[in-house]
Amino acid sequence: MSPTNLLEVAGLTKSYPGKGRLFGTAPRATVVDGVSFGIARGGTFGLIGESGSGKSTIGRAILRLVEADSGSVRFDGTDLRELDVAGLKRMRRRMQIIFQDPFSSLDPRVRIGRAIAEPIRLHRLRTGAEVDLRVDELLEMVGLASHHGSRFPHEFSGGQRQRVAIARALAVEPDLIVCDEPVSALDVSIQAQVLNLLEELRDRMGMSFLFISHDMGVVRHFASDVGVLYAGTLVESGPAEAVFGDPRHPYTRMLQVATPSLGMTRRTRAAEVRGEPPSPFARIPGCPFASRCPQATEICIERRPPPDAWASGPHRSACWHAEELPTMDGDAGIVADDEAGMTDAYRRRMALLRAARAV
Amino acid sequence: MHETGSSTAAEGRAPPVLLITGLRAGFGRTPVLDGIDLEVAEGELLCIVGESGSGKSVTALSVMDLLPRAAQVTADAMMFRGRDLSVMPERERADLRGNEMAMVFQEPMTSLNPVMPLGDQITEPLIRHRGMGAREAWEVAVEMLRRVHIPAPEARFAMYPHQLSGGMRQRVMIAMALVCRPALLIADEPTTALDVTIQNQMLRLIDELRTDLGTAVLFITHNLAIVSEIADRIAVIYAGRIVEQGSRDEIFGNPQHPYTLALFAAMPRLSDRGRRLASIEGQVPSPDSMPEGCRFAPRCPFAVARCREAAPPLVRIAPEHVVACWRAPLEEMAT
Repeated sequence: MSPTNLLEVAGLTKSYPGKGRLFGTAPRATVVDGVSFGIARGGTFGLIGESGSGKSTIGRAILRLVEADSGSVRFDGTDLRELDVAGLKRMRRRMQIIFQDPFSSLDPRVRIGRAIAEPIRLHRLRTGAEVDLRVDELLEMVGLASHHGSRFPHEFSGGQRQRVAIARALAVEPDLIVCDEPVSALDVSIQAQVLNLLEELRDRMGMSFLFISHDMGVVRHFASDVGVLYAGTLVESGPAEAVFGDPRHPYTRMLQVATPSLGMTRRTRAAEVRGEPPSPFARIPGCPFASRCPQATEICIERRPPPDAWASGPHRSACWHAEELPTMDGDAGIVADDEAGMTDAYRRRMALLRAARAV
Repeated sequence: MHETGSSTAAEGRAPPVLLITGLRAGFGRTPVLDGIDLEVAEGELLCIVGESGSGKSVTALSVMDLLPRAAQVTADAMMFRGRDLSVMPERERADLRGNEMAMVFQEPMTSLNPVMPLGDQITEPLIRHRGMGAREAWEVAVEMLRRVHIPAPEARFAMYPHQLSGGMRQRVMIAMALVCRPALLIADEPTTALDVTIQNQMLRLIDELRTDLGTAVLFITHNLAIVSEIADRIAVIYAGRIVEQGSRDEIFGNPQHPYTLALFAAMPRLSDRGRRLASIEGQVPSPDSMPEGCRFAPRCPFAVARCREAAPPLVRIAPEHVVACWRAPLEEMAT
């Protein structure tokens, strides 16, 4: 809990009523269960999880697009959950969100220049002709031209629409941008363009990011700190290097083993990648991952490990056996360097490609 | 010497289950595919790699004869187990589907009927194509569900698709596709929408089944990491043309086409933090405004005047490797 953090999330919990709630007996589905993490100023926190892990709910609950049941979300010292409507509106200028499907967040009948100008006018950041100048500047910033401003969303490709969404988010000069699977719907080449753009903007403007994704490769590339979510709980968190380099939770390890990686040697897909996450309605007294975990013992089934059952500096794992986990090596599926083992011809031509790009 | 020719003439391999040369497809006056040559042998897994708009799905749907009627499809040859698909009557092709050739899609609900119990859906092709009785079909279907690791398969027969998890639905869809033991399975981005742990299970399953049943697999994806894990051979397709094709070892060990290289470079790696990704500027051209010459030239950092004037032919540079690039190999560039 560093006081210098821009965002401090503590004990965030969100559940939804189950079916048959008229009779008041149905169990609730807990989708986020006591999640805590912080994002430093200018830092990028990557939240990794599979579908149903609660990662999108966390992003929305932080911005109060959904209301959490309990917990606190401190943004620059203010608890967002205690703000009234006017206070929240003021704070919202400082936080923006970018969704996976940019089309769904753009009104199809509004020209994108106007869509970008809207938040500028709403928050009275510019007036009169300055608004248009600012829109042009934003379009240019995300690699579009000012004439794009007169077009409608359907005239853009997926990658361009994501650029528009980014321009719109930047319009209010936010301190924090929540990116919810911003590149998942894009082809790899376009994905690379958008990731590069986000990185450039971060380096130039120094805003903080909460980067939500199911893709380990993308998160590793983009985030300085990461949290791994499983069934609504943060099972491991810490600096990206530590978490990816020496994962101390069996679920993080399973994700790494399961993530396909480029390489000359074909990895045997590991048989330990099995099972599915528990239902959010299930009341699990122990570790939610125990049923799929090759290391699980009695204590795992009986008692839930706290988020810092194991800790080494900022690196934490909610695993009773974090200390004893076997050492991982290439055979276990972790590839230290994906390009290791690639041929000379491959490296030579990649170097040529990079050189040609640089010109 | 380099030899100009199709990508198909390799020797010493099992006879092809599917052999296509010069496949063209288009809608109205808009061509989507411009002469595709492909071949898949028994038990072999061919990955077609390309981005949205490259024509990879149209290729698959042409083989399945599932394109809308408005589409024009022609080919110099389209042979499936020695039979010529291009002259086959529509009814016979319909009989092949779900029987000798099957397809799985990205979204399982595309092929599952939401209002029909799963048991009926899985046994239907057996009863229709194989003339089995209900009892026999039931047994075969249970066996196939077990193969795709569905726990308690008997209990699933009365269930409806919405009662299953996403991963389970994918597996049921695969079971349905494979229940008649097709000679050819076409998988169109079957794992793109899946979480990595489920994706991993699916890839393992497809790999197992083609090894055990000898199914030829045409696997369509834009993810080179997946390709790296499962492909025997790879065809890289760009804007309706194959730009490079070869064995996995050749494509990974000796990639030649700048587009292939660019796809490799654009992949975020677990190991490249802090380095800018080598993105490919611009986007795939739309079918109604294809550039002259090499279609990748407008995005290619190595393009010269010649590339914009004439389309490079596919040239065989190794027994298991063809590439269509005027500038390959790049090391021999004049400047």
